[in-house]
Amino acid sequence: MATPVAVDPLAPVPPLGPERPVVWPARLRRKLANGMEVVLVESHGIPKLTGELYFRSGNASAAATAPSLAALTATLVRTGTATRTNRQIEEDLRRIGADLGTSAGADTSAIGFNGLVEFAPQLLELVADLARNASFPAEEFDRERRHLLESVRIERTTPSFLASERMRRVLFGAHPYATIAPTEAQVEAYRLEQLVGYYRAYYRPLNALLIAVGDFSPPAMFEQIERVFGSWTAGDVASSPNPPLPELHGRHVHLVHLPEAVQAQVVLGNHAITRRNPGWLPLALTNSLFGGAFNSRLVMNIREQKGYTYSPHSGVQAFRQHGTFSVQAAVRNEVVAATLTEIFYELDRIRALPVGDDELADARNYLTGVFSLGLATQDGLASQLSTVYLHELPEDYLETYRQRIRSLTAQDVLAAARAHFDSANAQIVVVGDRSRIAEQAALFGDVTEYDAQGSKL
Amino acid sequence: MKQLQIPLESAKLENGLGVVVSPDRTAPVVTVGVYYNIGFRLEPRGRSGFAHLFEHMMFQGSEHAGKMMHIKLINSSGGVLNGSTHYDVTNYYEAVPSNALERVLWLEADRMRALKVDDENLRNQRDVVKEEVRVNVLNQPYGGFPWLDLPPIAFRNWPNAHNFYGDFADLDAATLDDVQQFFRTYYAPSNAVLLIIGDVQPEEGFALARRHFGDIHPGPPRPAANVVEGPFEGVRSGEVEEKFGTLPGFAVGYRAPDRRTPDWYSLAMLDQALHGGRAGRVHRRLVLEQQIALDTAGGIHYPVGDLFDYNGPTLIVSRVLHKPEYTSEQALAAYDAVIETVRQQGIDRDELEQVKVKFRSDYVSSLEGGHGGVPRYGLMHYLACFALFDGDPALVNSILGNFLDVSADDVRAAAQKYLDPARRAIVLRLPSKKGAA
Repeated sequence: MATPVAVDPLAPVPPLGPERPVVWPARLRRKLANGMEVVLVESHGIPKLTGELYFRSGNASAAATAPSLAALTATLVRTGTATRTNRQIEEDLRRIGADLGTSAGADTSAIGFNGLVEFAPQLLELVADLARNASFPAEEFDRERRHLLESVRIERTTPSFLASERMRRVLFGAHPYATIAPTEAQVEAYRLEQLVGYYRAYYRPLNALLIAVGDFSPPAMFEQIERVFGSWTAGDVASSPNPPLPELHGRHVHLVHLPEAVQAQVVLGNHAITRRNPGWLPLALTNSLFGGAFNSRLVMNIREQKGYTYSPHSGVQAFRQHGTFSVQAAVRNEVVAATLTEIFYELDRIRALPVGDDELADARNYLTGVFSLGLATQDGLASQLSTVYLHELPEDYLETYRQRIRSLTAQDVLAAARAHFDSANAQIVVVGDRSRIAEQAALFGDVTEYDAQGSKL
Repeated sequence: MKQLQIPLESAKLENGLGVVVSPDRTAPVVTVGVYYNIGFRLEPRGRSGFAHLFEHMMFQGSEHAGKMMHIKLINSSGGVLNGSTHYDVTNYYEAVPSNALERVLWLEADRMRALKVDDENLRNQRDVVKEEVRVNVLNQPYGGFPWLDLPPIAFRNWPNAHNFYGDFADLDAATLDDVQQFFRTYYAPSNAVLLIIGDVQPEEGFALARRHFGDIHPGPPRPAANVVEGPFEGVRSGEVEEKFGTLPGFAVGYRAPDRRTPDWYSLAMLDQALHGGRAGRVHRRLVLEQQIALDTAGGIHYPVGDLFDYNGPTLIVSRVLHKPEYTSEQALAAYDAVIETVRQQGIDRDELEQVKVKFRSDYVSSLEGGHGGVPRYGLMHYLACFALFDGDPALVNSILGNFLDVSADDVRAAAQKYLDPARRAIVLRLPSKKGAA
């Protein structure tokens, strides 16, 4: 190499260079005759494809039958079809170098997959086989139900799970979004017919969205998909109305007692909005500078200045019908009250004072920059596309996102904080050993204590 | 299958810093990594957990960028950043829009040149690290199982056998002098490699590397270290209490051969046959067929690393959580039967072909794979390991063929040689309370 060039030790931080354009790839978006929606994007970085077959129904749709039924249904979907045993499914996947996962959340059920593009036809056929011909073998059901029973037992010893579970109950009351996992008794009460019923009702082409990104030509891939899924008959999909959310009046503390915990999981939450709400981007920006980024106020305060916690963060979560805002931190037992004090200080500060120009510019740059990182990989693209099409956002959402973030002002941030960071009615969940933390938590509101199973103490 | 052809160019600056540039202009983003050839294996005695604590200190301020500046400059440039400590390397990395490339290099060079931290920074990060250990290990069901449980049972030489996350007393004992001493000893350009991946031309990447890193003093040569570990004699076993979880578990570790030896390639294929997802033999037999276990996993250098990112003694590990109605002895016997079968019979050709396709597919995915939103983290990670451990980053393109050349006989021989029930480490993780509360 050439002689090193001397650098001025007092040189200032190098400025940002000229931006290269961010160009989102074209989408091939088309419906099959049976109503199944297909979105395809080419991405040639690696000789693979990645995708998700979504059904627009999840645990919320199944709530009237049994809590979290969609999740166990999804588990069973990969354990047998009319022509393949569980073992054959797994070996067929390995033979083509593919991974596959089935899951269900509140609003969707999904079969996610990725594999070598040279075996794309076999992979699509396998996905279609699971979506159309799952056979729900009784012995697989018995085994998976036992697994679920053991995993809910372990989940209820996990602080972050217990905190999320309690917060969802507090925020959603009688609405199906209130439940993130079944109780042991509910698991034991599941019957195979309920899973089959759910599958027949909701794994339908009219309810389906297939997103795939990969090293393929979209028109040719669409033809393959049409061959594999085209003969699937439509069938109607019912939906039922959900109860309204509980109204939250004043701060209240919900303490989940976990004996011998050596740390406390602290969560604040309140209702927010969906992604389709015009206030979503202002809220996303406000959350980012509050506690969504490493460089945010929350992280700088309770981690970098005070050392209370390792990974504090705030987040906005959008469901189809509702949304939430939450703040969380796992802190040492001695600083539960100090942490809550700082969180409320930061909430009240962002609700009271407009953010400065530099801080606003930094946060806008952060969101627009991180958004473009999604362009670089198949997984990143698939994830961005899922957001757009599952939430039924405008077709130009990806192309206009950066400009819309850049146009937000300090007044937009102030308005979003005042509307959605509802400090006065924030609900507080604390998970830990009550003998160490109950007195500190009680400084912030009336305390209701629960055990890990959800019973009041 | 045609060989991978990921474009890359590499060079060494005069001060010894390795530089690898891998251009890919499909998106206007760039991933930058600086890898130092030091991990928690070689932290000072009496200072367990120090290498990781030190990694935190690298975000606390350098010569021209004070506390919070590193984080603020990267986030406000539209990027993300982090670092992580491994057995034999520590990395610092950023993913940013490509117009911030020079700024990232300036920052990384600044902290390679001089660390500027004080006692308050150290106290603050010591507190943060303790909460990290609590949230990941001490307050978590199966925390540290088996990555913290196995080494003290399996190994005898302190670098391989100590608590890598750190005893709190050792963390408390760490001083600012320790921090600066560790920096001077290991954080020299001659002990590091810089990776620039994505929207960059090679000549631009090398020019920027020279401009910002070229004048950093090469530093002392890396001190010699003894990480040698004698062969296992007999079965080494131990028990660890599980404070929260309700299921008993065990983990088994066998000594793995050195990287890039013929046996290592063979063992990697055997590993995929045993631990490769639900089709893997351990999961299929114990979970799906016999229904003794509920969860199984494993791998070479599992679970805090993989096949490529270590450079010293390690294990091929199996991890099993099983139903409480089976004793540890019964569950272990069922596992041993799986191992004995593969030792006796090896695997058949069809299974080997499946395993190879899956291995190839996983490998290319891991190169592209994101990690905390960082595109091509995997490519960066492997390039760095091949550069620091093997002196040859181009192995990232060529190494796959060695795995695909393994024969069924090689796999059987590796099973017989390495999965020896008489020479291994076993840890039982046993719940202190039975069933649900």
